[in-house]
Amino acid sequence: MKPNFIQKVTNWGNFPVVEKEMKSEDSFKKIKEFVLNHNEVIARGNGRCYGDASLGEHIFSTKKLNKFISFDRLNGIIECESGVLLSDVLEITVQQGYFLYVTPGTKFISVGGAIASDVHGKNHHSEGCFSEYVIEFKLMTENGEIITCSRESNAEKFWATVGGMGLTGIILTAKFKLKNIDSAYIRQESIKAENLDEIFRLFDESESWTYTVAWIDCLQKGKNIGRSILMRGEHAFQHELPQSMANSPLRLKKKFQPTVPFYFPGFVLNALTVKIFNLLYYKKQSKKEVKSFIDYETYFYPLDFVNDWNKIYGKSGFIQYQMVIPKESGKEGMKKILETIANSGNGSFLAVLKLFGKDNPQAYNSFPMEGYTLALDFKVNSKLKKLVEQLDNIVQEFGGRIYLTKDSMSKSSLTNYLKNIQSPKFVSLQHKRIINNN
Amino acid sequence: MIVLGSTSEVAQAFVEKALQEGEKYEKIYLFTSSRETTERFARHIDVKFLQQSEVIELDLMKEIDYTRFENVSSNLLFCATGYLGDGTEEGLYDNKNTERIININYSKLVPVMNYFAQKFESRRSGTIIGLSSVAGDRGRQSNFIYGSAKAAFTAYLSGLRNYLFDKKVHVLTIKPGFMETKMTEGLPLNPKLTAKPKQAAAVIYNAYKKQKNVAYVLPIWGIIMMIIRNIPEFIFKKLKL
Ligand SMILES: Cc1cc2nc3c(=O)[nH]c(=O)nc-3n(C[C@H](O)[C@H](O)[C@H](O)COP(=O)(O)OP(=O)(O)OC[C@H]3O[C@@H](n4cnc5c(N)ncnc54)[C@H](O)[C@@H]3O)c2cc1C
Repeated sequence: MKPNFIQKVTNWGNFPVVEKEMKSEDSFKKIKEFVLNHNEVIARGNGRCYGDASLGEHIFSTKKLNKFISFDRLNGIIECESGVLLSDVLEITVQQGYFLYVTPGTKFISVGGAIASDVHGKNHHSEGCFSEYVIEFKLMTENGEIITCSRESNAEKFWATVGGMGLTGIILTAKFKLKNIDSAYIRQESIKAENLDEIFRLFDESESWTYTVAWIDCLQKGKNIGRSILMRGEHAFQHELPQSMANSPLRLKKKFQPTVPFYFPGFVLNALTVKIFNLLYYKKQSKKEVKSFIDYETYFYPLDFVNDWNKIYGKSGFIQYQMVIPKESGKEGMKKILETIANSGNGSFLAVLKLFGKDNPQAYNSFPMEGYTLALDFKVNSKLKKLVEQLDNIVQEFGGRIYLTKDSMSKSSLTNYLKNIQSPKFVSLQHKRIINNN
Repeated sequence: MIVLGSTSEVAQAFVEKALQEGEKYEKIYLFTSSRETTERFARHIDVKFLQQSEVIELDLMKEIDYTRFENVSSNLLFCATGYLGDGTEEGLYDNKNTERIININYSKLVPVMNYFAQKFESRRSGTIIGLSSVAGDRGRQSNFIYGSAKAAFTAYLSGLRNYLFDKKVHVLTIKPGFMETKMTEGLPLNPKLTAKPKQAAAVIYNAYKKQKNVAYVLPIWGIIMMIIRNIPEFIFKKLKL
């Protein structure tokens, strides 16, 4: 048997699927050889971007770069290799009273992926993107050199790499700050909103909360457009907690993790089932406002509770469409977007609405800008292309943009904000698609 | 814990599994032929579990200076040393390849194992875990040099178990089938027959705690190898396995 590194690779949306070379190494010397011996290389973390961002001709998987390097328990500074997952970080830091400053809606992403996408969380309005807390990282550049990038040294590379989607090189290790927590629990308030006006008002009122996010039912029409539940939260102090949690405030009990065993057949997810899901979700909370304490996993990573949930979308896969619309015209833009989706009959199982705060102008390749962002999942089918086109037009009309890490079919004019990235060595399918459409 | 072959992903996963289960070791001795990557692992377990360790270079292809191991002592030895080499088509008539396979999997390894076995014997306690291979269950045309070395190693472990039994030292033979490791990266393996290092580590840890003698990582391999072992030779020699 001769090794053959060509394999089927696909990211979280199971769309697109490619057959390309994928290799993983843990020795820096061998990584250098890989980079020097190939023309088009792209790094891949845990494949949790939805589309084609970490696919390419020669994929370098960071899965073997999975070691911790140091943990300064006094100051909350951790250093690890780029393939370490956020879940690995949390496993050791939460017990010590530290949490990630910024986390996306899944903890199964790599540190390299977090930097390359400059991910945001429910606290963008209060604490910004992942890069705010990155102290430095080591990057392997196109000539196989390893450089240390920080705000002080190689600053241009630092800022081009943050949100740079792997196109500046391979991030090998990273050092970043953690935040102090008093418990592993979140004090949460969830509030039902009847429509868009109400949810926008709630977002404004909740500005002083660290975390805010809303789940939106996007099949509603007319005056019910924007029916949603806002969830705002703060890390709970030990003294606030109910007794059962306060006893060992930094340790969670192990939970059972169900797994989706196979790809669901195509008919399972259709407009009707989505409607039922959303109805149940909103009816579940009968009161207008509910206050509670919940563990950080349930609060931040509700979807991680079911392993491989992406398989419910079937073999043809799905996309996530995430856009941001500037604040001034946010409400108007969202309304148009939601109307378009409701009319298309192409329901989204999951729709998440958030208010972004001001962006960091230095992190010019990052996605967030001040305004409203909506993330929607759509099953890939024959009608989808047209819907994406319609949505793209609305985003363009309102001066918004779409999130590269989730993109696989949007208009390139909405995505080509990648600056200072000219290396012919690091190329992804996404980047090729963007350049070719221009 | 003493680990031979510390760059092995299964060995590393086993170390992590044991530490996760709350086992404590005064020190973990990480024997390796690759200092750089093993030192990274040593730092990793220090950060993750506050576990002390020491990296000790061991190259089975070179002369071994046993005096360096005098202070190494533990109640558990985990041996994951192994070298797959080239299969028959590319490697059969390449003497360097053959020697290397035999040395690393058996002839140079056994004296090192014996060195530690003696320490265990004199302490009258402890467990020795050896990773052999299903390839040692019957010689097949695709990789019988490797298979024959592993067969010898399996026989060695079995004899050692027998010899150390009344000296209160337990010997566990592990037969991994296909595993998703550096050794097999890029090979077209059937996912149903292939175990991940973490999965393997959990099985091995369990077998260790239950004081099993021989364990396959995936039970299906026990069945497959039973069938393969029982095919009559006059048929077997005609098969392309
Ligand atoms: C359920 C779910 C919820 C999510 N929620 C959010 C959210 O709330 N906010 C948010 O911002 N994102 C969110 N995401 C997206 C996810 O955070 C990003 O796509 C993240 O980058 C994925 O990291 P990864 O390790 O899987 O990297 P991959 O998906 O493999 O790669 C993503 C990008 O990073 C690059 N990359 C990866 N590793 C390296 C490296 N070592 N060096 C250089 N480049 C590298 C790749 O080339 C690619 O461009 C979510 C995803 C899922 C599945």
